[in-house]
Amino acid sequence: MLEYKNVLTTCPYCGAGCNFYLQVMNGKLIGVMPCKSHTVSQGKLCVKGWNAAEFVTSKDRLTKPLIKRGGNFAEASWDEALDTIAKKLKEHRDVDPDSIAVLSSAKCTNEENYLMMKFARVVLGTNSVDHCARLCHASTVVGLVQSFGSGAMTNSVRELEYADCILVIGSNTTEQHPLIARYILRATENGAKLIVIDPRAIPLTYFADYHLKQKPGTDVAVFNGFMNVILSDGLEDKEFIKERTEGFEELKEAVKEYTPERVEEITGIPRDKLIEAARTYAGAKRASLIYSMGITQHTTGVDNVSSSANLAMLTGNVGKESTGVNPLRGQNNVQGACDMGALPNVYSGYQSVADEKVRAKFGSAWNVELPQKPGLTVVEMMNEADKGNIKAMYIMGENPMISDPDTSHVRKGLENLEFLVVQDIFLTETAQLADVVLPATSYAEKEGTFTSTERLVQMVRKAIEPLGDSKADWEIICNLAKMMGSREFGYSSPAEIMDEIASLTPSYGGIVYDRLRSGGLHWPCPSREHTGTPYLHKEKFTRANGKGKFWGIEFKEPAELPDEEYPFTLTTGRIMFHFHTGTMTRKTELLNREVPTGYVEVAPKDAARLGLANGEFALVQTRRGQIKIKALVTERVPEGVIFIPFHFAECAANVLTNPALDPKAKIPEFKVCAAKLEKVKVS
Amino acid sequence: MDKKGFEPKILAFCCNWCAYAGADLAGVSRMQYPPNIRIIRVMCSGRVEPELVVKALSLGTDGVLVLGCHIGDCHYISGNHRTVKRMAILERILGYLGIDPARVKLEWVSAAEGARFAQVVSDFTSKIKELGPIPLQELRP
Amino acid sequence: MSMIDNVQNLAREWLDSKEVDAIFGLKEQDGYIAPYLFTDVGELSCLVISNQYRLCYTCRPAKENILSLMLQTEPNAKIGVVVRGCEERALIELAKRGQVDLKRIKILGVACSKEDAEECRCEKPYPGNLVLGEKVEGVSGDENVNALLSKSLPERRAFWKHEFSKCIKCYGCRNVCPMCICKDCKMEQELYTETGWLPPGIPMFHFIRFYHISDRCIGCGECEKACPVDIPLLTIFKLLQKDVKDLFDYEAGMDVEQEEPLLTTLDETPMREEVMDVGV
Ligand code: SF4
Ligand code: SF4
Ligand code: SF4
Repeated sequence: MLEYKNVLTTCPYCGAGCNFYLQVMNGKLIGVMPCKSHTVSQGKLCVKGWNAAEFVTSKDRLTKPLIKRGGNFAEASWDEALDTIAKKLKEHRDVDPDSIAVLSSAKCTNEENYLMMKFARVVLGTNSVDHCARLCHASTVVGLVQSFGSGAMTNSVRELEYADCILVIGSNTTEQHPLIARYILRATENGAKLIVIDPRAIPLTYFADYHLKQKPGTDVAVFNGFMNVILSDGLEDKEFIKERTEGFEELKEAVKEYTPERVEEITGIPRDKLIEAARTYAGAKRASLIYSMGITQHTTGVDNVSSSANLAMLTGNVGKESTGVNPLRGQNNVQGACDMGALPNVYSGYQSVADEKVRAKFGSAWNVELPQKPGLTVVEMMNEADKGNIKAMYIMGENPMISDPDTSHVRKGLENLEFLVVQDIFLTETAQLADVVLPATSYAEKEGTFTSTERLVQMVRKAIEPLGDSKADWEIICNLAKMMGSREFGYSSPAEIMDEIASLTPSYGGIVYDRLRSGGLHWPCPSREHTGTPYLHKEKFTRANGKGKFWGIEFKEPAELPDEEYPFTLTTGRIMFHFHTGTMTRKTELLNREVPTGYVEVAPKDAARLGLANGEFALVQTRRGQIKIKALVTERVPEGVIFIPFHFAECAANVLTNPALDPKAKIPEFKVCAAKLEKVKVS
Repeated sequence: MDKKGFEPKILAFCCNWCAYAGADLAGVSRMQYPPNIRIIRVMCSGRVEPELVVKALSLGTDGVLVLGCHIGDCHYISGNHRTVKRMAILERILGYLGIDPARVKLEWVSAAEGARFAQVVSDFTSKIKELGPIPLQELRP
Repeated sequence: MSMIDNVQNLAREWLDSKEVDAIFGLKEQDGYIAPYLFTDVGELSCLVISNQYRLCYTCRPAKENILSLMLQTEPNAKIGVVVRGCEERALIELAKRGQVDLKRIKILGVACSKEDAEECRCEKPYPGNLVLGEKVEGVSGDENVNALLSKSLPERRAFWKHEFSKCIKCYGCRNVCPMCICKDCKMEQELYTETGWLPPGIPMFHFIRFYHISDRCIGCGECEKACPVDIPLLTIFKLLQKDVKDLFDYEAGMDVEQEEPLLTTLDETPMREEVMDVGV
């Protein structure tokens, strides 16, 4: 007889962490159904979530290991593929472990990220493991840690609904975190004031009380301007500053110069609007600040993040419900991949590799001597590959050929490798360059956990059997580790991996599958009795001395500014209907119908000057490269600024972007570079 | 725009067999009617999906006429039966959304009714002049 | 004995006696409720009743009703379905359109509680084919409907401008509607509403559904509940249900034999005379 069931799982797209059921009939996926009792999604989903079943069974899925022979891929058995990899990696490891680098994945589960970083450190003996968080929120991790002591969203999503004022900067929440935008809108309908700071008009601006359009890359000046107004009006929370923070004098000194007049000069925001918005934010009882890649993807990313923390502390908006500084993390599990230590300088739970005690703890748990030297970050890996210092790479579930800045440089780096393994569900642009490709399973075919942007650890459940010969990433890593002679990878299930994570990671200490089955838990959750922590820094900050720290920060210009030759400011981002490098969304009919390919947004006046009409092709050039792309003439962008979504390989924005890095977080400046634009003559 | 001196844009869907022939007759007989109207010929008034009417309004048309054969005279027997029912629903939805239902109108005009065609168009045009420009922009952010 | 015990017992009887091959109902597991096809009597203790989920929905990407998929996949099976008022109405409308074969469905009709009816703003919280439970009165009158009707045309425009501007084009309202079964949906087509843009065409995007579902909406309210931005879609559907009743003396979901008015001639389903006079 027929079998039909609904399997509850977590959305594989954004960090909002919606849950839904996968409908399974006779072992086949037949649809998605929202989960009404789930805390964030409440029976609702965005268009990507609703369509999250389709790509799983796409005919383009990889189902067999592939080995490149004479420039072409040939199908191979698992044994053969893993054997090849093991041999090659061993060769390189035995010469120099630091000639190997690993990219882990914000799309994979916590357990898999944990295993990947353990594999890099235990089996390969290198700390060079990183993932795409470097490209989105590396500055958050550094910036919020130096200000608060913890690099994650301070409050939970549902609390937004009860804020009196919400300040959104550098986040097109409606399109990137649709179900979080739900709560922003609900708050405004409850009477909350909404301040949107963004160079572009975004769907949220329709509902904003203030839309401040800053020049791209001038965020520090905006924040300092806010604080200047607040201090000169005496609207700061004196008690909070005294009791809970340090470094206030330094801040005061730094923002003194940022009068509304000067800020108007730098940012282009009219002084009156700045003053009103600053007073509105400071006057609210509970003000939430939300930001995302619009402020992190800069050479001043860390400065921007710490500035937002300054503003929140100045007005006492931390450590209370419906307040806080809330970075929205892009990927479904980018929070988790960071938590798990898929980063070159920390183990799981942000425990420092440089700390001898920590190293000893992990070393004794894993029965090895762990490498001491901190590893390389994403962009550094590509640089070193280009120089020939990185010789082999293992990439799991990432597509740097589209996601990383300056594509031609990435290609050069990857092509220069002696050995490249890519483990993915599709033959991505990156996988095409690999020597061996391993077929992994999608979220629907495996068990594990994802940690959403609000630090909520939730279950991913297996709905169907793996397609073809594909295997879950955690199984692949275990098999390979065993083949390379390690005895530390004998897990029989993801639950067992989570038990190990809990035992070594204080913030995940109380997380076990038995508890997660009936609902997620917000970390820190240090013990089995602990019910989780929806908002952080309640009585004291996580920093060592318990105090939040103000940083006096000066405005610095972006690395590359428009000039005569390249007169436009190019900024990049995501759109509602696609996700990241499009490997999943572009295999979904409805999403492709909505937006089949990329475009460049140009302001009407600029378009008129260039003689460029809507729908015509334009050539966009920067110092790194050029692309041909369709023009979308729209008021959404201000004059002098152009915007390109980065999902589309055929007109890839990252051919153009600038790989200049933030000095501390090593995040590239995706959000600002100089570009020129011309109409493509029809031949 | 000021209602005074306002020249509305009006669209009429005319069925091939009756209303379009009626319009033709009005023209051949040199009957006078306001020049605000643009005609789209369709095979049957039953071909006019309400979506098309809404699309016309969305694109800035101030009023839409749907003209077909009298009940009983439909070339396709009962095409206009569907039309009359649909138009009733369409008008109600428009009203709920805040668009005056009088901006759309269904009328029967036979091939012999040139004068009636001119009359319907004149009446409808003055009605739309009275209502002013379509306020659909007000529905958009 | 409580209601749920009665339902479980009857379901068990039906399965044991092979009157049906499976029971389609709601299952509770780890505190989560979801639709499930029970084939094993032993599992029936997890069968629950809840107004959280409807047992009548369209599965995508197949774009077919769940029951119709089940009946197609298992061509000889007979399925018992735990059915409330709205689900029965949905099944009747689907049967009219050849989507499900009612002869292969055995209805275990249950009445909803007063609280459930109020929460759903349901006007008829029981199936015609009531097997278990006591009928309670449906909700009459609707606050949102009254509020809209008391507004002037410009006020209505301002109201919908705010509401529709929130729309994030998730298609959730369409996806959950048991009556949205078209393989080619106009809401997706560029001809009607520009693709790839937020908010989607106002009012076209929403108009398409208002109009298409006008004479078949069974008032389950799922569309409104699925909307991530709380657009009060049910308000218009409730008004249209009333209009359809008023114009054609027709109610969706009552009688399989009755054909839908918008697809029939005036001879088959007449329209109220005065309206014909006024409108024509
Ligand atoms: S909002 Fe994010 S998590 Fe929720 S359904 Fe959409 S993509 Fe998935
Ligand atoms: S209430 Fe909404 S979901 Fe239910 S039948 Fe009517 S239109 Fe469809
Ligand atoms: S459910 Fe709401 S947001 Fe989604 S398409 Fe429908 S009206 Fe728009």
